[in-house]
Amino acid sequence: MTLAITPAMIGQVVISGLLAGALYAMVALGLGLIFGVMRVLNVAHGPLLMLGAYTTFWLFHWIGLNPYVSLLISMPLLFAVGVALQRFLVSRVVDAPELSSLLLTFGVSIALVNLAQLAFTSDLRSVEFLTGSFSLGPFAFSKSRIIACGFAVAITLAAFVFLRRTRLGKAIRAVSQSREVAQVCGIDVQRIHLLAFGVASALAAAGGSLVAVMVAIQPDMGQIYTFKSFLVIVLGGAGNYPGALVGGLLLGLVEQLSSLFLTTQVNEAVAYVLLVVVLLIRPTGILKGRV
Amino acid sequence: MTLAFGKVPTAVVAAAVALTFCPIAEAQAPIRIGTSLSLTGTYAKPGTYQKEGYDVCADELNAKGGLLGRKVEFVMYDDQSMPATAVKLYEKLITEDKVDAVMGPYSSAISEAVANVTEKYKKVMVSPLAATTSIFKKGRKYIFMVISPAEVYLEGLIDMAAKRGLKTVAVIHEDTLFPKASATGTVELAKKRGLQVVLQEAYPKGNTDFSALLVKIKALNPDVLAGGTYFDDAVAITRQMKELNVNPKMFGLTVGGDLPEFYDLLKQNAEYIYGSTQWDESLPYPGQKEFVAAYQKRFKHEASYHAAAGYAGCLIYAEAAKRAGSLDADKVRDELLKLKTRTAFGDYAVDADGFQTAHKMVMLQWQDGKRVVVWPDDLAGGKPRYPTPPWSQR
Repeated sequence: MTLAITPAMIGQVVISGLLAGALYAMVALGLGLIFGVMRVLNVAHGPLLMLGAYTTFWLFHWIGLNPYVSLLISMPLLFAVGVALQRFLVSRVVDAPELSSLLLTFGVSIALVNLAQLAFTSDLRSVEFLTGSFSLGPFAFSKSRIIACGFAVAITLAAFVFLRRTRLGKAIRAVSQSREVAQVCGIDVQRIHLLAFGVASALAAAGGSLVAVMVAIQPDMGQIYTFKSFLVIVLGGAGNYPGALVGGLLLGLVEQLSSLFLTTQVNEAVAYVLLVVVLLIRPTGILKGRV
Repeated sequence: MTLAFGKVPTAVVAAAVALTFCPIAEAQAPIRIGTSLSLTGTYAKPGTYQKEGYDVCADELNAKGGLLGRKVEFVMYDDQSMPATAVKLYEKLITEDKVDAVMGPYSSAISEAVANVTEKYKKVMVSPLAATTSIFKKGRKYIFMVISPAEVYLEGLIDMAAKRGLKTVAVIHEDTLFPKASATGTVELAKKRGLQVVLQEAYPKGNTDFSALLVKIKALNPDVLAGGTYFDDAVAITRQMKELNVNPKMFGLTVGGDLPEFYDLLKQNAEYIYGSTQWDESLPYPGQKEFVAAYQKRFKHEASYHAAAGYAGCLIYAEAAKRAGSLDADKVRDELLKLKTRTAFGDYAVDADGFQTAHKMVMLQWQDGKRVVVWPDDLAGGKPRYPTPPWSQR
């Protein structure tokens, strides 16, 4: 039996891809922010997302808190964790060769996963909150995914507005462009580093809280998001914040479409092939230039 | 455990024991069975259950006067779920601790690694939690299988589908060793029974969005959907099937669908789904009730199939040793090859490679929040609910 791919199927898959992509974009924006400001690739980004997911799980489990309301707790909580990580660990390697920061965050990543295993055990958990979908014509919109997408878009936009319009946001962008000049202009670079790491961790936490409703929660759920975020920021242009949005949506679409037209088995491979192609023809990412 | 002498030099203790109790001690020295289990790390949970199964077995043997007139004692170490650690521990058990016998560790991966050690020293190893066929098909002489291989996990689903005259099946699986083997096995079983396999597709480990795959399945509209899953993928696939309204007449899973957590997570959405398991508490096997009671009494929680398989594997070794009248590896091996028995875990018989041929998987179906054994007929506790109603009516 051969499978005829109809426009309705493509439409459904595009919807799924965009829904997933918005989430990737939000999470990747965090990774991109840290990279942009400090030239540190935070391998522990995924595990921070995992902590966000657990925060939502426990709040739901203990007091039945609505998982979307728990964003109000998971984001500030992980902001604080991020600031602490920056203050006590990452700040020591910002000026060191790139390998040092990579090793450090790799170590933090392993430590977080193992601590989570000790504290929460490796039992799979889940937040059974919204199931099913809305349907519109031939298309189905997963309730949990469409809401997650809505929050992701809102949070990403808020982050962009923060970066574009506020003094602190402008300071962050200034530090990304040139640390020395920013310092000369009177920006407290250390403080900006703390802020950037905090905001990035809060974005990861938001991702965790939102996926908590969709997938099983377990200590090593985060790592794949580190890889996906890495892919997104390189696709979009490392250090270019709107690039994360382009990269995220692109990754979501590529994964789903390659899964439809080829097989699900190769969807990751296709995403990496795309990465290589982008790096070959446009080494600075799809949106290069402006920060 | 057995390292009770702590730091006292072993030689001193040995000399003291030899001088004082020599004749008696020799007659009654316990049989020491060495094993390493995954008590921490990724496999901590099933590994601990297996250990508890071994413990109940030792209790039972000792209560009945031991094995070959000697007390049975386990020498257990923690391999932290790592094959390389387990290899070192089995070397140590055999060469330093000089244990009288060994039992298998948890998981196929670790069994595969330590089998090289046990073969080298010609130690019989009954490996109760190794389900990968290839381990037993490499010409090894001393390793024995207890549970059913991955390939037959969904035999029941295919059998039930064929008997109902269903025509088409789609098989999806995670792209790793065990799910792949179970999917390949399912495809072969389906072809043998005249079902048409309309789709066979793998997805990468850690995949969280199955939309495109399910859109394809919906378009192909198979009668049966078989999933070679672990747990998180099983949950994610079920949720997205509901979202995208994919509703085959039968939907069965290898791992995940059998666990109580599956229902805890999915609630009524788990209804009508088939899961596959090596063993269930409700099965009418001999000694089943006694084992479940003894286990519950000692460990205060319900026995899983890992515990039952560990328990049964240990009893199977003991039975073979009893029949051989010795612990000599070659004699015990001959008996294990000949042995055909039914334990609390089900049937045991192996082919010339030590590969399990008698043990039966059972299919469960979630019915009103309970796991009901629906296949095979002679062990079933209820009838399968068929066909599956629309998602909105569950």
